[in-house]
Amino acid sequence: MTSYLIRRLLLATLTLLLITFVIYGLIRNMPGNALDAMMAGADPSNEIDPRDYERMAAVYGLDKPWYEAYAHWLGNVLQGDFGQSFKHRQPVLTVIGDRVGPTLMLSGTSLLLTYLLSVPLGLWSAANSGTTRERLAGAALYALYSFPAFVAALFLQLVFAVWLEGTLLELPLIGLVSDNYQELSPLGKAADRLRHLLLPVVCFTYGSLAYFSRFVKSNLEEVLRQDYIRTARAKGVGPVTVVWRHAFRNTLIPFVTLIGLTLPGLLSGSVVLETVFNWPGMGLLLLEGINVRDYPVIMGVTLVFSVLTLAGQLLADLLYAVVDPRVSYD
Amino acid sequence: MSATGLRLGAHARVLLWNLCFVLLAATAGCTGDSPPPTKPDEPAAEATADEAEAVEFKLGDMLEPFDPPKLEELNATAEWVDRPVVDSLAQLLELQASEPEPPTEAEALALKNDTPGANEAIRRAMGRVRIAKNGDFYDDEAGADWDAEIIRYANGDINSTNYVLYNSATEAEVHALCGFGLFSFDAEMKPFAAAESVVSWQTSGNGLIDKVVMRDDLVWSDGEPITAHDVAWSFKLIMSSVVPIPAVRQGMKEIRWIEAYDDQTLVYFYKDSLATNIWSVNFPVIPKHIYEESVAEDPTLTRSEYHVRYEDKPVLGGPYEIADRKRGQEVILKRRESYYLHQGEQVRDRPFFKTVRLKIIPDQSVAMLALRKGDLDELQIFDPRLWVSQTISNEFYRRNTKVQAPQWLTWSFQWNTKGNPFFGDVRVRRAMGLAFDHEELHNNLRFGLDLPGIGTYHPDSPWCPDPTPQPQVQDLAAARKLLRQANWQDTDGDGVLDKDGKPFEFTVICRNEQWRIDICNLLKENLERLGVLVNVQPMEATVLIDKSVNHQFQAAFGGWSTGTDPDTSENIFATDEGRNFGQYTNAEVDRLFAEGKREFDFEKRRKIYQRIHQVLWDECCYTWLFHQNAFYAFNKELRGYNFSPRGPFSFGPGFSSMYRPAAL
Repeated sequence: MTSYLIRRLLLATLTLLLITFVIYGLIRNMPGNALDAMMAGADPSNEIDPRDYERMAAVYGLDKPWYEAYAHWLGNVLQGDFGQSFKHRQPVLTVIGDRVGPTLMLSGTSLLLTYLLSVPLGLWSAANSGTTRERLAGAALYALYSFPAFVAALFLQLVFAVWLEGTLLELPLIGLVSDNYQELSPLGKAADRLRHLLLPVVCFTYGSLAYFSRFVKSNLEEVLRQDYIRTARAKGVGPVTVVWRHAFRNTLIPFVTLIGLTLPGLLSGSVVLETVFNWPGMGLLLLEGINVRDYPVIMGVTLVFSVLTLAGQLLADLLYAVVDPRVSYD
Repeated sequence: MSATGLRLGAHARVLLWNLCFVLLAATAGCTGDSPPPTKPDEPAAEATADEAEAVEFKLGDMLEPFDPPKLEELNATAEWVDRPVVDSLAQLLELQASEPEPPTEAEALALKNDTPGANEAIRRAMGRVRIAKNGDFYDDEAGADWDAEIIRYANGDINSTNYVLYNSATEAEVHALCGFGLFSFDAEMKPFAAAESVVSWQTSGNGLIDKVVMRDDLVWSDGEPITAHDVAWSFKLIMSSVVPIPAVRQGMKEIRWIEAYDDQTLVYFYKDSLATNIWSVNFPVIPKHIYEESVAEDPTLTRSEYHVRYEDKPVLGGPYEIADRKRGQEVILKRRESYYLHQGEQVRDRPFFKTVRLKIIPDQSVAMLALRKGDLDELQIFDPRLWVSQTISNEFYRRNTKVQAPQWLTWSFQWNTKGNPFFGDVRVRRAMGLAFDHEELHNNLRFGLDLPGIGTYHPDSPWCPDPTPQPQVQDLAAARKLLRQANWQDTDGDGVLDKDGKPFEFTVICRNEQWRIDICNLLKENLERLGVLVNVQPMEATVLIDKSVNHQFQAAFGGWSTGTDPDTSENIFATDEGRNFGQYTNAEVDRLFAEGKREFDFEKRRKIYQRIHQVLWDECCYTWLFHQNAFYAFNKELRGYNFSPRGPFSFGPGFSSMYRPAAL
């Protein structure tokens, strides 16, 4: 197990190096740089003088070839310095740290809800496969899966924030908290946060709920067709025990893979929903970073996502051994 | 005296390939008691990222050495001419008093803005400032709700609270309210010294020197006095090569030196006697006592612990201070008591709003919902489709009204006159304009909301010729004839024009927004009828700028908003200038721009720019499409909003005349 872990970690380190090298090369070779973005997204009634442009390029490290700048960035990262954001004018770790909380609040809640709802829904669907009500539920879930989150978000905002304004069902339009948040009691603050979280979580969840529940259902149906299930039924085992004890456990391997792959999703957020709900999360941070060529932020976020992806895969591999006794890393 | 110390709008024209900016910028003057400058810039240019921090900071090292004369000598020889020191709000009230009485607010708010007459009634009624002074200042009986909050719209966050580092449109808005300034300009773009900061302003007879006497009751938000030394030191700071100043340095290149002769007396020395010198003094001022000792250690002004502390809690000199900032969410500004009270006495008008909340909402559709819900009090609407579809319902009018007003913002196709076989020929450029279906653009894509484009200067501006050029109309036969004269013909019968074996096929680039793409697609459809192939290539703003600056395009769609002076067009149309993306060159235009900035007589100056306008129009370096009005929605409770060619905020009094009546 230990040697397996060491091998995996070494491989992960090499993978990380490769990912960051490629991403750095790509972003530095995109047309336009941070100074062009500054000119594009700015007041700048005053164009930047070419000499000032050169000076600022030097200050931001844009005057170096990209591979040299990458080596410089990597050296700093190894010393714990992720650099300073061009846009936010703060250390990258501070910028990312500010976004982690809101992102986790949204994606963590959503992921939890997804798992809590999708497993029983998937089990129910598998158990009732082929019935009219299951087909209706399936159609509804496919419809949800294909419904764009952006449209759903705007529609829900219109309904709950505008049309239902002044009623008990009114929900906030955007943001993490209300303008009067500081004046609320502790209970009021918790309720305020919850109310702000509701619509984004619904929008964040419904698509993955549909996907996950279908995933559970199809895997379960596959298992239910196996000989050992037929044998169990022939031996007189009840339908609930068959599904829960014999079938579901055997669907866990692909499900665990999916869990591993969703780990980076916890922090990656959703650009679209964060934009619509003005939710200061990681997705928006990465998008803003790309738009303004904020290389330190892009690299910082890339690194976080890459580490999480690799950690998720490792975790999934380790969990195989937990859910399937046949798997061993010794 | 106006409530906010409005900063002078930076004078250059604003780039709109990205967004429609409403912008203001800095002002101020200065001089210094700092060490003499060293040789002009160079060392930092070679500095690398880390080395940049290691390069020694030298205050004002980009300035040429200058030995200012004694003030007595100056006063004896300068032949000072008095210049206006204006209370812009009082000036507005005076103007309104001389105008016919508009409809009442109740009458205006009962209207739907669906006709020009209704728009005019709403604009005039809601622009009227119905408050009264008691003695020198507005008091509690004036009619304003002094505890009121206004929630303003911002489409992006501020990056820094440090005024000298300002760059984005939102930062310009924040610093217009929080920053210290000496100058402003009115709705006719006439500059003046702001009475809330300045006692007197004089210019020397030869136009080479300005003298400003500042008020002695100005204090920073930490209680320290704002003096002429702050202004002079800020100037030198901006002119220090290792300080990464993004926006304002280029606009200050005509200032030779600024000297603070005492705490109140500032003298600006210019390199040349230019009519445009006044616009050079628009730079941000930051407190010398805060940064003087720290800048050498951290010239970026953002990285040291000390600077981070002041980034979070900046010391400001304007009517408002930053009370809170939730990154990516909102910036909350609070009225600053020490702005209008000095040693317990009221010395300036109290700003009408106690709190200004800038709510950052990146998506305009969501911003529209926020307005309807009452989570925003004002919204500039960029997309005309939102104007005609989302602001017409009873639900919208339940809480809001809307106004449009002329804005000097012009959209066009820009032709790259070099590097391709097409657009170096004026006949081809003219044919492009004749082939384009302007009627379709105005009626269907722009919903009849704009004025037809008739050249670089807005038809309302004094710089536009009289009579104005006639708007172009589609004439395919004339376009075809011009192309034939330019030897573009379909010689191989494939339906595509060609010359010297090369087909007439080009790419037009634009920002990746649907309404812009639609306009480019219309060009494509129109030109296909002539046998010209067009590829429409939308792209993100940064790439667009990169390609534009490096002239890596054949045609582009974009727009420019106006600067405060017609000379700001020089760097768009004069040969080899920085924003002359299309590489247009015309010796007469170059000469006229050079003459224009040196001409002080208004009428003569006007003729110069009118001639420039005409030459550019005749030469078709752009195909001007439309002059876009300002489209704004306001909460019905707001009063006192008036418009300049740069929108309702970026002039004096601008935001300072807006208020919420106490009676509501």
